[in-house]
Amino acid sequence: MKGSRLRLAAVSFLNTRPITYGIERGLVGSGRVELTFDLPSRCAAAVSRGEADLALMPIASYATAETELCIVPGVAIASRGPVRTVLLMGDVPWEEMDTIFLDEASRTSQMLVRLLTHERKLAPRFESAEHDRIVDQVGGRGGALVIGDLCFAASARFPHVYDLGAEWTNQVGLPFLNAAWIGRPDVLESGDVELLQESLALGLANRDEIARRFAERDRADVALYRRYFHDNIHYGLGAAELCGAAAFLERAHRAGILKTKPVLRLYAGRILRKSSTTGRSLDSLLSDAAAGERLSFDDGIRLYQSASLYDLGRAADARRGQLHPAGVVTYIIDRNVNYTNACTTACQFCNFYRPPGDSRATTLLRDELAQKLQETVDLGGIQVLLQGGINPDLGLAYYEDLFRWMKASFPLAVHGLSPEEIRTLSERETLSIPAVLERLIAAGLDSVPGGSAEILDDEIRRRISPRKCDVATWLEVMRQAHRLGLRTTATMVFGFGEQPRHLLGHLDKIRDLEDETAGFTAFICWSFQAEGTKLPLRDDTSATRYLRILALARLYLDNFPNLQVSWVTMGPAIGQTGLRFGGNDFGSAMIEENVVAQAGAVFKLSAADIERAIRAAGFTPRRRNMRYEWL
Amino acid sequence: MIFSDVAKKVRAGDPLSADDGLLLYRHPSLVELAALANEVRERLHGQRTYFNRNLHINPTNVCVARCKLCSFSRRAADAEGAFVLSVDDAVARLQARLRAGDAPTEVHLVGGLHDGLPFSYFLELLAALKAAAPGISLKAFSAVEIFFFHRTYRMSVEEILRRLQAAGLDSLPGGGAEILSSRVRKAICPGKCSADEWVDVHRTAHRLGIKSNCTMMFGTVERLDERVEHLLRLRSLQAETGGFLAFIPLPFHPENNALGDHPAPTGAEILRNFAVARLVLGNIPHLKAYWVSLGLDTAQTALWFGADDLDGTVSEEKIYHLAGARSPQSLTPAAMARMIRAAGRIPVERDTLYRKLSTREEQEAM
Repeated sequence: MKGSRLRLAAVSFLNTRPITYGIERGLVGSGRVELTFDLPSRCAAAVSRGEADLALMPIASYATAETELCIVPGVAIASRGPVRTVLLMGDVPWEEMDTIFLDEASRTSQMLVRLLTHERKLAPRFESAEHDRIVDQVGGRGGALVIGDLCFAASARFPHVYDLGAEWTNQVGLPFLNAAWIGRPDVLESGDVELLQESLALGLANRDEIARRFAERDRADVALYRRYFHDNIHYGLGAAELCGAAAFLERAHRAGILKTKPVLRLYAGRILRKSSTTGRSLDSLLSDAAAGERLSFDDGIRLYQSASLYDLGRAADARRGQLHPAGVVTYIIDRNVNYTNACTTACQFCNFYRPPGDSRATTLLRDELAQKLQETVDLGGIQVLLQGGINPDLGLAYYEDLFRWMKASFPLAVHGLSPEEIRTLSERETLSIPAVLERLIAAGLDSVPGGSAEILDDEIRRRISPRKCDVATWLEVMRQAHRLGLRTTATMVFGFGEQPRHLLGHLDKIRDLEDETAGFTAFICWSFQAEGTKLPLRDDTSATRYLRILALARLYLDNFPNLQVSWVTMGPAIGQTGLRFGGNDFGSAMIEENVVAQAGAVFKLSAADIERAIRAAGFTPRRRNMRYEWL
Repeated sequence: MIFSDVAKKVRAGDPLSADDGLLLYRHPSLVELAALANEVRERLHGQRTYFNRNLHINPTNVCVARCKLCSFSRRAADAEGAFVLSVDDAVARLQARLRAGDAPTEVHLVGGLHDGLPFSYFLELLAALKAAAPGISLKAFSAVEIFFFHRTYRMSVEEILRRLQAAGLDSLPGGGAEILSSRVRKAICPGKCSADEWVDVHRTAHRLGIKSNCTMMFGTVERLDERVEHLLRLRSLQAETGGFLAFIPLPFHPENNALGDHPAPTGAEILRNFAVARLVLGNIPHLKAYWVSLGLDTAQTALWFGADDLDGTVSEEKIYHLAGARSPQSLTPAAMARMIRAAGRIPVERDTLYRKLSTREEQEAM
């Protein structure tokens, strides 16, 4: 409630203590927050009864809540591999368990073990058991889900122990989001999100002290607790964790474990990142960036101008390895369908468009589209990337019909309509951008591609694509899409005579928005494809410049989980080389790409070619969806 | 041995062992490898990156060697698409360039092993080209062709080379080396001379004052240790004669040949091969990124993986284009200089012996 105290409820496990540290110590929020500790299930109930404003609540409680809830960005109990405190234990292997006892204390862990059991095509009985007595239930063919601090002592007692954090991430390739600060939408005042993040930041800085205190309490090994804090629990909540949570909820929904598939909504507020000090040497700038520290705009300019290709590549490769430690490079099978080439924007660099009314201006008919979509399904495709010209003949109803028909007829996700197309619809229909997006979502839109960004700088946009939306509008469409739960990508096309400040400005704007929404899943850049277009061939579209910019982007975009290489535009050889300059995704085994093909780049790779290229670069290929969830 | 030990040897100028070479081929960080190769490249050449103006002439595509990797050759003189270029046609091709004000400084002549041509044809070809442009450098006939002449015309390799030299031959191209290993040659090009014979032709040429290039055609059936062995053989001949100008790694192209189901090496493998070659072949001055075979982007990128030369303006390339290369047929000197500059290097136009002719700036200032 505005003006009053913010009532927080949290569980008193070891892993929550870094989150509550600053508040408990009165270092932040004194006078504003009031913290009480309770059991996990009771924390969620306190929020629904209005006894607490925010609770450190399992994601499962968010998913099943009757009322609308929001999630605080930047703070979570999550894992990116072994978590050590969500374990399935037994005398027999998972496959042989006829009963699995579930710890009542954590609904998310219960849902996770049910889901993973279902996905292994096993059907044991599930029985509930009290937290304190759970370990006693294990025996014979009965296994148990054990959570929290109990795991440390219990895991050595049984021959078969499964770490469900590791099981999840090894299967899906995304973090597991266990719990976060969750509450009703209207309870926060400005500054609260930051306050909660600061409390966590203080806790992380004092992790070793917390580990020592708890090890003394439990008469346990302090090194074990310290490793747990450093290697197992992951406290950030950004784009990757949101994708992990969305994947979890969707899979649970598909498995019949969860009735609804809720949208993950965040409170307004910024995700704070550890920011750098100034006046560092180039070497320390590179090593800090490789470790994931935030670079300032000036740092970015300095790296662009002074760091060698190798310095940037090494640091970006290290950062990629830190974000994607399994050595996996992903790709997607989808089809790029350019549904219309009629376009009013007449961008100088485009060979694809035809003015509306031109005899060569066409819009695909349903039959043609159906054939393309069926081919996509037949080739193992899971998504269609639908982009086209700005065609004044096509209104919102056209897209609503189109999406509904597509979703009803084909098992394909719709990744469609760039911000330029969406803002045009909003103007044409005199509807707000969120209203347009809501109608498109209702008709089946799943995600939005990051096109029409070019360089996010109004000076450059006025020069190369004067009729396209300005920077603020592009960002606003993405902001609204993210708020409505859509995931999007962001792109950048360089080679328009831009200066380093334009490039870094572009990266800075999308990084800033990502701090606010955590809705971008990936960044993709390429150089302007000059051949055959109206602009002359330029020197600043070279492959080496691409590799430099890619590496710099990996370092600068510390909050973007994924960087795609663009083999379609840069060629397979340079695209593949980009995997060693920060890229962790090979993009799409594209069946069609009219826009770039018209400008002279004609490359085709099959899924087998892509997998070979990924392996030859030293990685393991995996197919993914738009959330970067492994399939 | 770990990478940093190898790096120490490289920096001290010590020759690398076969094990070192293998370690480099297997080193996980492509970027570290490139950075080290670049140290050697910049120590030798600074930012300078060479190109020349050249003309490719293929006298014939009739060939008795049935190499599985080849998309160019025809088995018999009367086969569809088979040709033998007359001396007059070859000269006409050169003269067309001279008339267009686009004089090459070098003609690159390689062809099939045609058993129905007299030796005099080749001598006349050289003499006529030289007569048409007396200052031009003739880089002609790979070691495989020289060895074939030796067999066909029953003269020693030395005698063949002396006669060709007298007719105007200046240097030998580096082709036909493929992988210098009998196991690999048996599998992909059993009709070509052996590895020892290939090396011997170059040794003899060097002794006669004929400089040459050397190549490696990689990405077919060879193992990494065979690639290292190949590099070490070249290095060892270079230590003996000093006659190699440049090493040219050539990735296998799979279209229109009998190895068509074998995939081409990928970009990262190609760039790695450049870096390893630069590090192992410390005594061969130049490393050439042949853009016709690599494609423009990869060739340009190779300039940061050890390469210091982009070959020439070319024109009328057949061998790689028949195997599926998608690069253009020729480039202007201005385009080559721009490509080099766009990669952040300094273009230097050279002659066959890598003597500087002029920098682009100098030309533009003229």
